[in-house]
Amino acid sequence: MADASIEFKGSSFTLSVLHLKTLVLADIRNDLAKKVAQAPDFFYLVPIVVNIEKIASSVDYQAIKVLIEEFNFTFVGFTGAVSKEQRKLIRELGFSFVNTTKVETSQKIAIAEEALVKEAEKTAAIALSKLYTDKVHRGQIRSGQQVYAKDQNLVVIGSVSAGAEVIADGNIHVYGSLRGRAIAGAKGHHKAQIYCQKLEAELVSINGNYWLSESMEQHWSSPVYIHLNDNELTSSKLI
Amino acid sequence: MARVIVVTSGKGGVGKTTSSAAIGLGLALKGNKVVLIDFDIGLRNLDLIMGCERRVVYDFVNVINGEATLNQALIKDKRVSSLSILPASQTRDKDALNKENVGKVLEDLGKIYDFIVCDSPAGIEAGAMMALYYADEAIVTTNPEVSSVRDSDRILGMLASRSRRAELGLEPIKEHLLLTRYSPKRVEEGEMLSVEDVEDILSIPLLGVIPESQAVLKASNAGEPVILDTMSDAGKAYQDVVDRLLGETIDFRFLVAEKKGIFSRMFGG
Repeated sequence: MADASIEFKGSSFTLSVLHLKTLVLADIRNDLAKKVAQAPDFFYLVPIVVNIEKIASSVDYQAIKVLIEEFNFTFVGFTGAVSKEQRKLIRELGFSFVNTTKVETSQKIAIAEEALVKEAEKTAAIALSKLYTDKVHRGQIRSGQQVYAKDQNLVVIGSVSAGAEVIADGNIHVYGSLRGRAIAGAKGHHKAQIYCQKLEAELVSINGNYWLSESMEQHWSSPVYIHLNDNELTSSKLI
Repeated sequence: MARVIVVTSGKGGVGKTTSSAAIGLGLALKGNKVVLIDFDIGLRNLDLIMGCERRVVYDFVNVINGEATLNQALIKDKRVSSLSILPASQTRDKDALNKENVGKVLEDLGKIYDFIVCDSPAGIEAGAMMALYYADEAIVTTNPEVSSVRDSDRILGMLASRSRRAELGLEPIKEHLLLTRYSPKRVEEGEMLSVEDVEDILSIPLLGVIPESQAVLKASNAGEPVILDTMSDAGKAYQDVVDRLLGETIDFRFLVAEKKGIFSRMFGG
């Protein structure tokens, strides 16, 4: 039977790592004191991992832990590329050793992040360039019909009936009456707009912000364009 | 080539069968060979309205299943010899029809008749889809009220996407708007949508406006299509519809409430 009350899951967190360059506790205390004095609130109860990679083998682990806790850090454990024996010793002393192949991983992450950024830039470029193209629908869109312009603007030459739905990742233009539902900027595009010759819609939505008919009273049955102004839907008369 | 006309609406009770009967008979009276098909399998109303319910031996489903020939199932109208009725089965349901066999029956009928008028069941399910699938033209029957107009709009979407013509990419089905149970007086009082309102919403060409009339109920009960009641408003309006279907241009009538003159007031005309 599964344990309903608890569940183990892996998560990644950003932890502060304190790199030690000396074993002289007095020096460490001095430098730590200076650092913490600059921003005491910031460091208060911050979980911290101590990296012992750059110091010689015979470390007084207990003393380091106590020193760290003196400054109100929350001690998590030790890290660093050290020998197996050393890790074993750390464990035996009752401290946790946090595993990280530091240099490699950080490089990998950097590379992966760079790739991600490039990919995002690429897709954004595609999406943006596509947003300048139009899907044109000639004729009325009837009740029960749905037209979606993926990564495009939607131009309807005709009316959108009550009970019909027009969706675009870009803008929506209706050369006729808009009586159904219109959803512009469907993938999240706060500059998307909705234009129609006669606003009698059941619902209009831009980037997730929506209005039902009752919010459209001001420009009901008028030629209107609808846009977002500081994440607030706004309608303006076209003529 | 026969013109296959479906009389459809989406919503029930708006006057599809009344209109099918009146238009079918009207076309036949003008000398055309007409067959009326009842697609409302399971309910069977058309033969009642046509007054031939006692002459049904075989039905549409029998023909589809090869249990009877077309000639055995077709009922010749007693008033007009060029009109036949293919009645629906009352013991089966709408799934008894399949596209292929319906197509075959329509093809056979098309060789004999000038007009095939298909009386569609209500709804947007298989039965209604079957009735409109092979249509060349559609008479969308609508009452001047919001829900009926909405359902007609839905059916118009189906006509444009689910018909044989749509599937094969042929010229789309020719759509006609038939407004029934129209009461100019109630329109004036703002209780009913006007012709203009409905035309604006559906934006398809208007074929006719049938005024709300006592004559329709009387005709239905008597099994005499209302078009035979040439004195009634509804009968005259259906006659106009038939003439328009045959290509004539006729002004629309019965669109404004009649002002009662002093004599009709006095004598209750």
